[in-house]
Amino acid sequence: MLPADCSSRLVAELRDALDSCAQRQRQLERSLRISRRLLRAWEPAKTPVPEPTPGPETDEEVPSSAFTACSPSPQDLKELELLTQVLEKAVRVRKGISKAGGDKAPTVKSESTATSPATRASTRLRASDWTGSHASETKPPRGIRQTRVPAKDLSEHRLVSVEDPACIGRGARAAKLEPSRRSQETVPLAAPQAREVFTLKDKGILLQLPVAFRKAASQNSRLWAQLSSTHTSDSGDAATTAKNHFLQKMQTTSGWPSSRLSPAEVEAEVGRLQKACSLLRLRMGEELTADPKDWMQEYRCLLTLEGLQALAGQCLHRLQELRTAVVEQQLEPWPEGRLPRASSPCGGGADTIRSPPLLLYSSTQELQTLAALRLRVAMLNQQIHLEKVLMAELLPLVREQEPLGPPWLALCRAVHSLLCEGGERFLTILREDEPAD
Amino acid sequence: MGRRRRRRVDPADAARALPEAIAVLTRTLPTGPSPETFRRAKFDRPEAAPALWRLLFCVLSPMPADGASPSLALEAQARSVKAALRFQGYPRRALAQLPDDGSQGGRELLLALAWLLARGPTLEQLLAQSRVRLGDEMPVCEIHSYTRGCHSDRSLGHLSVTETELLRDPEGGQQLLQRLERENVRLEAALEWRRRELVFWQWMDTVLGACPPEASQPTFLPKIPAQGAAELELVVRELQALQEELQGVAETRWAAWEARVGGHGPEWSASRRALQEAVRQDLVALQWAWERGGGLAQPHGPHRLVRTEAGAPEGRGLQATEVIEVLRSREACLEVVLGQLQGQCRQELARLVGTLPGLIWIPPPGR
Repeated sequence: MLPADCSSRLVAELRDALDSCAQRQRQLERSLRISRRLLRAWEPAKTPVPEPTPGPETDEEVPSSAFTACSPSPQDLKELELLTQVLEKAVRVRKGISKAGGDKAPTVKSESTATSPATRASTRLRASDWTGSHASETKPPRGIRQTRVPAKDLSEHRLVSVEDPACIGRGARAAKLEPSRRSQETVPLAAPQAREVFTLKDKGILLQLPVAFRKAASQNSRLWAQLSSTHTSDSGDAATTAKNHFLQKMQTTSGWPSSRLSPAEVEAEVGRLQKACSLLRLRMGEELTADPKDWMQEYRCLLTLEGLQALAGQCLHRLQELRTAVVEQQLEPWPEGRLPRASSPCGGGADTIRSPPLLLYSSTQELQTLAALRLRVAMLNQQIHLEKVLMAELLPLVREQEPLGPPWLALCRAVHSLLCEGGERFLTILREDEPAD
Repeated sequence: MGRRRRRRVDPADAARALPEAIAVLTRTLPTGPSPETFRRAKFDRPEAAPALWRLLFCVLSPMPADGASPSLALEAQARSVKAALRFQGYPRRALAQLPDDGSQGGRELLLALAWLLARGPTLEQLLAQSRVRLGDEMPVCEIHSYTRGCHSDRSLGHLSVTETELLRDPEGGQQLLQRLERENVRLEAALEWRRRELVFWQWMDTVLGACPPEASQPTFLPKIPAQGAAELELVVRELQALQEELQGVAETRWAAWEARVGGHGPEWSASRRALQEAVRQDLVALQWAWERGGGLAQPHGPHRLVRTEAGAPEGRGLQATEVIEVLRSREACLEVVLGQLQGQCRQELARLVGTLPGLIWIPPPGR
């Protein structure tokens, strides 16, 4: 139905589109894989320390060391074991407490205080030990479910600052006393484990990034800040003058007029004007659906429509100028085999130079919406691109072929479905044949 | 920068300045050729050409997202470079005339590289493109919740997946560390380049001087009809359609309005002026939206996701709620565009087909 070169071009485009979808999928899967792996117990890389205590999970594995590798002494191990028992009890009890919803700030606080010396001990030993045992302990179901959005009364936000370095023994003993007292009070409330979100810090665990890394990372952000700051100020006026002089000389020795537009510029401007068209149309839609209640609102509406019309006219004028320039300069606007550019390294060259700005979110819901919208926008962009490509290839075919033959009708029907219905629906063509008599 | 102390310029220093500057430049570039290559290129020595073709290819093509870069043959790279430079508007024809096999053209390529460097923040853009990302861009919140309080940088507050992964996997962490350190080297070189680049530009002047002058009548390459030209036409048609619609809509309403409102008092003209001004400003803002290239700089871009309390003090970064708003409006805009394109196709097909007798077109059931 389609000529060979046309179909090969279309197939290439569609394949590109499929590839980019596949790539996105792979990225998401990879991200999920990594996250899941992090939420499980971490596998040990070396011979593990004997398990502290059997927790609710049966296969606690002691994770490997972070960058610092020191072997713990038996004394330390014993204390670790003790502390783990204490912590486990505390976790169970606290779950009961938070289930009851009471305000047990003091007890929670003392628990954290008790566990912090353990933190210091543990970071002296192996930073990730605690992570592993507690990450696995507090993840009741095997497999990965998204924990629900944390309720605000959880200790997530109570970051206890621990100043006094209570010694381990004392801390352990103190902690041992507390939970037992609490457990007496609240045993009936130690209900089924609620899945809750907590922070490792509350459990007395502090993951610390290794020193070498932290140094490199802070140097990295410092350098980026320097790079962007000197960029915006006039760095080396002499150098700038020299550069401009060089560029000018390049232009004059080329023999071409300096007012030439590069294909890149033309494309960029066409893109902007395309965007202008959509924004104008969107705005027109808004004005038309608005319901003016008095003459003033109506006047404003009409003025706006008039203004939109004028803007559309300006854009058209600019486009016609571009068209003339392209023809005159015999530009090849979009040469074959040009390198595929990353989808807009835009935001301006300068913006991407600053340290990556932070995107602050405060709930899982926001993240979900954000991700869904990003995906939707990307999909729409792709759809529009494909629509344009298909239009450019298929409409000429419909125009040129001999009408009325069945192949042409089939082509029309297919083209209509693709271009007008997104390939989802088909129309029906009825042909009136000459009556048989 | 402070003033340099006046001292006698040691000729040895001056002689060293250029090679040192070039050495710094090569340290900032992703696949920097040796300074010797640069020197050879000035004299258009053929052995300098392949390295420079490869460098230009690296500079002009974006880093592939997942790091898997298919290595192209030199010839393919050369063709890509030529096309990309032509697209950017490189002014010299000599480049297009270089053989595709990548065997020649050292001096012209050196000029092309300098042209790219002179026009814009090329080095910085290169660095930004390949930047080591320490934060999370994909929404992953569990790690953020769990690791609250663990980050040494207070403004971030929690670890990212990348950082947590680094703790879990020391080997992978080592690699990340090395990448960071390599990037730091390049960043330092880029900063140093700014201090040293003047002598490079003076040298490039001499390189340009060493070239034979180009003929003043360039031979035009045949124009290849391409997708881009079609895009231009498309936008023209869209805008024309829009203009017609706007005109049609407003005419009757204006007439009705005039009939009803004609001849009010002086207070009315004051209100009119106020409204006119308001609408004018409105439209200026609208125009700005497409001319400035989008209000929000890149909600898709490399932002580091950070979890905070709701209602935390602003000014630290983008709020997710803002980005969501922008994305929603972008979605609406795109839906309009898509609908419009589809409508255009429908009209065109109807026009092509409508003239034919004996056919009944039954559109699919409505949405």
